[in-house]
Amino acid sequence: MKLLCVDSEPIYREIVSVCAKGHGLDVKTATTFQEAIDLFEDWEPDLVTLDVLVKGGNGLVLIRELKLKANGRFVPMIFLSSQSSDSTMEKCFSAGADDFLPKPFQEALFNTRIESHKRQIMLVQEMSQKNRELVYYKAMIEREHKMAHQVLDHVLIRCENTDHNVAVTRLSAASFNGDLALVNSRSDGARLIFVGDFTGHGLSASIGALPVAQAFFDAVDDHIEISKLASHINRMLISILPDYMFCAAYIVLIKPGGHLFFWGGGMPKAYIRRQDGRLDYLQSMHMPLGILGPSEFDNTLGEFSIAAEDTLVIATDGVSELKNEAGEMLGAESLEALVSACYANADLNQAQEDLKNKLSQYQGHSEQIDDITFVAVRKKVTENKR
Amino acid sequence: MMVHMSITVNYHQADNCVDIIIIGSFDFSLFNEFKDAYADFIGQKLSFSVDMSQVEYLDSAALGMLLSMKNSLGDECEIELKGANDFIRNILMISRFDKRFTIR
Repeated sequence: MKLLCVDSEPIYREIVSVCAKGHGLDVKTATTFQEAIDLFEDWEPDLVTLDVLVKGGNGLVLIRELKLKANGRFVPMIFLSSQSSDSTMEKCFSAGADDFLPKPFQEALFNTRIESHKRQIMLVQEMSQKNRELVYYKAMIEREHKMAHQVLDHVLIRCENTDHNVAVTRLSAASFNGDLALVNSRSDGARLIFVGDFTGHGLSASIGALPVAQAFFDAVDDHIEISKLASHINRMLISILPDYMFCAAYIVLIKPGGHLFFWGGGMPKAYIRRQDGRLDYLQSMHMPLGILGPSEFDNTLGEFSIAAEDTLVIATDGVSELKNEAGEMLGAESLEALVSACYANADLNQAQEDLKNKLSQYQGHSEQIDDITFVAVRKKVTENKR
Repeated sequence: MMVHMSITVNYHQADNCVDIIIIGSFDFSLFNEFKDAYADFIGQKLSFSVDMSQVEYLDSAALGMLLSMKNSLGDECEIELKGANDFIRNILMISRFDKRFTIR
């Protein structure tokens, strides 16, 4: 910490120097007004002592100049002066002085004041250091979230979004939470669906998404069975993710004949809305992907059959955990009622839009904490059946 | 230093067990603190319990932290998750945590 002592009298420069050095301060002294200005600019002291009378100028003018040159930097300035009348002191403080010590020099008083100013300087320095770090980390995290979104947007380009039997809705919160929804058709007409939810936020949550998407598209191209796909993704995530990260997911295959197979781990119930509004439930039976080793991993599938009029609806937990303005969660029951009502619409995209509006009505002006994702799929209607 | 009151650790030497009590939101903000709660006991043959009776909310990061705890302590250490409310119990069951933990 650096102290600049401005005094025209050699004896005071000497005393202040000795005392301040005793407190571990680096000291430089200035004799004249201009010398003080020059040293302040070149040396950037943390603390200044000055007199009301300064050779070549005036202490009140000097302090104003120095405060200006400090340009927002916190530099306490202490007057040391024999002119200690109330009116002079008042002028000093209104000119920007942080403290006033009368001459003749009183060592005990000076020592106490110096210590207290040192503490204050350290606190302010620490605070602005912390503040710089926070600004840095905030910028870094924002950049990472942007990157995560970009990475995933790229992945999603290969997904079907023009098919009128597929609707994927992602409502992003400010912080990306790792939802991944992939839908694609195989050359044999079967449709493969992956809806997953990675632990973590930002870039770290998207790291697992890239290889999962790759495995998904390979499975679409090569007609890999979904039990094998589940085992494969599980093994892969174990090897690349740290032990506190995993991916809750449904992997679903709908065959052209209406046979539906699914593997589910760690996800809330998904629904098949039947034509009459009744719901059948797909239940996750397993631990999420990326937790159990190959010997423990269970790739047992569930099965359903699905007709052309039915709708498969998969939502991540962000949907039932959506909060209204009173802070109450939507809950599974209300979600089920909405699913049953909205997907009565024969136009899947309108049905999806309807559900999206209902959710946004429920939410009102409350802040959305997680990304929410919901996917609706209807069986392809084969041309000859139309 | 800020004083953290959200995790309390009680070691009962007589019963060879460690109680970790969590209060409030069990989420990513407790990542380091939760790790510290059991770090000193790694490698000792103890039983653990995580008391969640005062936890209001738990996110997937917390599930990951529990799995990481299980990994660090090893398979021979039993970890009991107790006192979870219905909402949290449901989250634990959906992710089949009964396969790795004793849920009471």
